[in-house]
Amino acid sequence: MTGERLDADWTSGPRQAPGEGGLAGLVRHDLRILRTYLSLGVLNLVQYRSDFVLSVVNAVITLATQVLGLSVVFGQTTDLAGWGPYDLLVLIGVHFLIGGVLGLVVRPSMEAMMEGIRLGTFDFTLVKPADSQLLASVQVVRPQALVDVLVGLGVVVFGMTRVQASLSVVDVVLSLLTLLCGLVVVYSFILALSTMAFWFVRLDNVLAIFQSLFGEAGRWPVTIFPGWLRIVLTFAVPVAFAVTVPSEALTGRLTYTSALSAAGLALLFFAASRWFWFFALRRYTGASA
Amino acid sequence: MTAITVDRLHKTYLVPEREGGLRAAVGALVRRRRREVHAVTDVGFTIEPGEVVGFLGPNGAGKTTTLKMLSGLLHPTSGTATVLGHVPWERDRRYLGQMALIMGQRNQLQWDIPVLDSYKLNQAVFRIPDADFKARVEELSELLALEELLRKPVRNLSLGERMKCEIAGSLLHAPQVLFLDEPTIGLDVAMQRRIRSFVAEYNRRTGACVMLTSHYMADVEALCRRVIVIHHGRLLFDGALEELVHRFAGDKTINVELADEHPLDPAALGPLVDGHAVERSATGFSVRVPKAETPRVAARLLAGLPVSDLVIEEPPIESVIEQVFEATSAEVDGG
Repeated sequence: MTGERLDADWTSGPRQAPGEGGLAGLVRHDLRILRTYLSLGVLNLVQYRSDFVLSVVNAVITLATQVLGLSVVFGQTTDLAGWGPYDLLVLIGVHFLIGGVLGLVVRPSMEAMMEGIRLGTFDFTLVKPADSQLLASVQVVRPQALVDVLVGLGVVVFGMTRVQASLSVVDVVLSLLTLLCGLVVVYSFILALSTMAFWFVRLDNVLAIFQSLFGEAGRWPVTIFPGWLRIVLTFAVPVAFAVTVPSEALTGRLTYTSALSAAGLALLFFAASRWFWFFALRRYTGASA
Repeated sequence: MTAITVDRLHKTYLVPEREGGLRAAVGALVRRRRREVHAVTDVGFTIEPGEVVGFLGPNGAGKTTTLKMLSGLLHPTSGTATVLGHVPWERDRRYLGQMALIMGQRNQLQWDIPVLDSYKLNQAVFRIPDADFKARVEELSELLALEELLRKPVRNLSLGERMKCEIAGSLLHAPQVLFLDEPTIGLDVAMQRRIRSFVAEYNRRTGACVMLTSHYMADVEALCRRVIVIHHGRLLFDGALEELVHRFAGDKTINVELADEHPLDPAALGPLVDGHAVERSATGFSVRVPKAETPRVAARLLAGLPVSDLVIEEPPIESVIEQVFEATSAEVDGG
């Protein structure tokens, strides 16, 4: 064919190629990928306008039923294992917030990854010169979930103005840190569940199970459950724990024990899920052509 | 330095196996039987920078498995390979940043976002400087006529449009090694031709080395002077395309045009062509004869008939390849 010529510079290559620049280079690369995926996903909000309206409606209904549930409980008592009504409102807000972040990027990405393993498109994630876990975890952004994030923030702030707890700057920083720990714990848990798709190709229900656990158990303080269930919800399926600790921090009842255990648990879960990820990758065979 | 070196590469899969039916299905839940499948056996070759090599074989021959090992997706069971000086399955970012894998049957562009946004994701992942990114997108979109497509979400594109966008997206980082697995599958003839000439131009301009699998021989004929043929996971042939035809084609076809309305007497024709089956056409006939006998038969035909034109043809590559596979299948099956 005539006239087809490549004239751009095809030889210079990137100024800093993937994999160069040592640890700092790797981190910069990872951060750039994260930023690009998130910002593009959110910028594409317009593609989902009708979905967005639906998620506002959904968030309002969910919030209303949860507040209604709270009012029923507190019609009978003024104190639930040491938590007052507005303390629990803060917890509901934290629950919304964490659920929102998961729904924004983690869950849709994991769903896409499992689908990709089944269809073989996960191959493309693996041939990219970047951290495979990072790529798999941020590949799809569902901006409608921002509604939950915003509702969560609003409820947390509203609840905090009603709670008689005066938070110092240190408390606020601690709250944010425990929130981050909670997110890391839940993220690692979902990642480990989804990684099982490398062996059991059809695993869509795994995330549904997680969702109902997180949705039901996660919106109560882990301290109200009987001992054995508390242990399960802290170590085996750490959803309630992940929500409870930041809520404790935000309502001025954080103990050093729970702060440290949140940090420890976050590290443990992250390291274990990452180890499991690379263990699974070595066994990856892909879908056949 | 060679671009790709492959030495005694093996890949064995363990695949679960069960009979049909409920009983076997329940049984398989408890104890899974597994069977070894030798997808690739003792394959070795080298490819120089800038070469375009056709990688041929029937379905299940081990082509995709080999490409997946070379692109770092699969660990081999044994054997070694280096591509651009890297061991592919170590998945060093420095290697992956210079390689592209394009599979005609699978998309990597994100379904719901505009094509250009997917490209921006690739820009971040491959760390492509803005100026290069802009120039390359412009150029690729000119070459492949993508102008109209870049702002549309991928789900709104036709199959051919999507493939063009896939290919452009995979080349933004100017890879030095390209693995193309059936890049033209399912596309119409014009689009196939467009993609073919584009790959040729990319190779010419960048000096990238290309390994191509395709079931369309037109792709291979247009792009590859060298072919590697594998079958049942084993290397069958590695050399020039013409040599493949020369070596494996047992027959040639003699096409004869006869002068005027010559009444062709089948009884008389039989001895002239050693009794080979003759296919009549409106103005003459054609006959397939073993290669070695071609000159003799042609001479006899010229002497014995009022021939106005006589052409000796190599068989089409498709049928040569088919013959190769059939012959080796029979060999393997027969023990």
